[in-house]
Amino acid sequence: MDNFITRRRRHELLVAAGLLVFAIVAPMFIKDVTTLNVIILSLLFAGLAQAWNILGGYCGQISLGHALYFGMGSYVSTLLYVHAAVPPSLGMFAAAAVGGLAALLVGWPCFRLSGHYYAIATVVVGEIGYLLFLNWDYVGGATGVYIPIARPSLLNLQFGKDKLPYLHLVLAFCAATWLAAWVIEGSRWFYAWRAVKDDVVAARSLGVNIFSSKMAAAAISGAFTGLGGAIYGLYVGYIDPDSVMAGHFSILIALPAVLGGVGTLWGPILGAALLIPMKELSSSYLGGSGRGVDLMLYGAMIVIVALAQPQGVVSLFRRRAHGPA
Amino acid sequence: MDRRNFMIGAGALATAATARKAQAADDVVIGVVYPLTGNGAAVGLDAKAAYEVAAEIINGSHTPIGVSMGKGGGLDKLGGAKVRLVFADSQNDPQKARAEAERLITQDKAVAIVGSYTSATGATISQVTERYEVPYLAADNSSPSLHQRGLKWFFRTSPHDEMFTKGMFDFLADIAKKTGRPAKTVALFYEDSIFGTDSSNVQRKLAAAAGMQVVADIRYRAASPSLSTEAQKLKAANADVILPSSYTSDAILILRAMSEIGYKPKAILAQAAGFQESAFMQGAGALAETVMSRSSFALDADKLRPAIPVVNALYKAHNNKDMNDNTSREITALLTLADAINRAGSAKPEAIRAALVATDIPGSATIMPWAGVKFDEMGQNTLCNPVIQQVFGGAYKTVWPFDLAAKDVIWTVGT
Repeated sequence: MDNFITRRRRHELLVAAGLLVFAIVAPMFIKDVTTLNVIILSLLFAGLAQAWNILGGYCGQISLGHALYFGMGSYVSTLLYVHAAVPPSLGMFAAAAVGGLAALLVGWPCFRLSGHYYAIATVVVGEIGYLLFLNWDYVGGATGVYIPIARPSLLNLQFGKDKLPYLHLVLAFCAATWLAAWVIEGSRWFYAWRAVKDDVVAARSLGVNIFSSKMAAAAISGAFTGLGGAIYGLYVGYIDPDSVMAGHFSILIALPAVLGGVGTLWGPILGAALLIPMKELSSSYLGGSGRGVDLMLYGAMIVIVALAQPQGVVSLFRRRAHGPA
Repeated sequence: MDRRNFMIGAGALATAATARKAQAADDVVIGVVYPLTGNGAAVGLDAKAAYEVAAEIINGSHTPIGVSMGKGGGLDKLGGAKVRLVFADSQNDPQKARAEAERLITQDKAVAIVGSYTSATGATISQVTERYEVPYLAADNSSPSLHQRGLKWFFRTSPHDEMFTKGMFDFLADIAKKTGRPAKTVALFYEDSIFGTDSSNVQRKLAAAAGMQVVADIRYRAASPSLSTEAQKLKAANADVILPSSYTSDAILILRAMSEIGYKPKAILAQAAGFQESAFMQGAGALAETVMSRSSFALDADKLRPAIPVVNALYKAHNNKDMNDNTSREITALLTLADAINRAGSAKPEAIRAALVATDIPGSATIMPWAGVKFDEMGQNTLCNPVIQQVFGGAYKTVWPFDLAAKDVIWTVGT
């Protein structure tokens, strides 16, 4: 049994390494900025969904307030750059720290709630954060913050028209979240979290510390989400509460994981690889008509996946690997 | 490419296809980014119609219209090349707007971008155009922070919020002089967005400078389900003039809420937005009577600008509505851009930028009540003075500047 698991884990690592090399090299041959943009967003949301999956999937704590950590991350790195001249290459780690801390602060009272109440509480906390930033003049309030256009450099993480360095940056982010999930799957935490997810009472009777399990998952999840927010802010070049903290980001972050397969290693990546290109390309090429065809297609796809593969797209592959369940 | 070609047969079709290709090479592509779906779609779709009308004015064969580029037939200094518009949907999302602007420049080879309704999308589009060194012409983004960044490729034909607000206080000063009954107190009422915040900040400053007392300073959550508390506060303050900065649903709601508690304000002077939408007039009905609003456009200024009814007829035929504050500015932006491309005699972005910098269109060659179009070193048009309009019988009539007025203003303050 152990042997089987070790072999499977080594196999997963090899597949991931192969994909990583492919993802580093292949885009070098793509010149089209729209395609590159779609790849960048897909990788970013794959990473964010993976981060969400650590808390929502492995530990079973459904959060609908990740926009808060995402938004705080982009604000922290942007404001450090604009007000204190801290380069974003350092600022993004501060963003990760703040994202993790925020998730702990939200978790401290909210993890005492059980069942659906945690999910509802996160919606409310996310909305409070959004309103605070909207009305807080030091952070630009509703006017938002511009990231000044600087000379392309690795320190400032600004690359002008060149998309490839951005792509490699988000690829590194996505790979880091995947690796974190992989490490977690091989650790004791994985089993503790699974127990918390399945049955709190049984987990406690086996000596699992419920509260600290949830807090650990939240901290890791929040930190990666904050990091992703910082990268997103840098990429877009302008942030305001509506564009980084609005409630729909919480859904956007969770959706690839849910669609791809909650609590799985590959689900978030698969989900993002399907969802984001579909969303971006359909709106680019069908959105100009103003008839909303793109949104209908996007919605239809989500409905079809939800009906046909309620376990997520990743279950397609699993069935093939193990035969009919 | 006329219709007959299609009816001759396959051979003719092939010829027509080549002809079209040759012609397409001459077209000057301009990217247009607006919210065509999601929130803001109603405004975006009207904008799309407005740009199509403007392109028709530039490209079509028609009797000359008294505006710049109004004689039709394309860009004469580029051998009659046509302006071709490519529309993109921003979904009112700054990230999406940025990506679409980039796509229009790199894939569709747009030589300039026009946009984009909300200031947040204008912010990211102008970051892209700055990087790609392509002009961005802001037709209707009104946040002052946009041009204050000092971007090289940013131009704005229409007034920004500070100019709008200054126009409102100029009006208040003028009416005090004319009637001898000045407004001594004002009440600010604004939504908690970039628009409402900027607007109220300037109003607070200008009210202080004009020696007016701010007796109520009310910030509310945009798209509120109820504004009755706010209406009570406005009633308690009973200012000479209420200055609302609101979008359509809130604009209707506050008028209803004030009416429900039996409060009839002495004067309402709105920062356009929702108050200028046709849905407002329908929703507010009789409550909208004598409400004043600033506007950058005056549909009834046809004596001063004879081109207005002509262009309005074109727009109405296309979109079954009259032009409004937004659509008129959008048409003006594209005509200004086409004029610059034509004067540049080239579709090279650098040449277009130089021509935009040198732009000097007199007000008489526009459909706007402005003194003209001329950009300062930050790309802001300095000649675009707003007007004040008042509702008479369910329609806005221009009441200020007094020499442009179609009606005498009803001013009950101090009576």
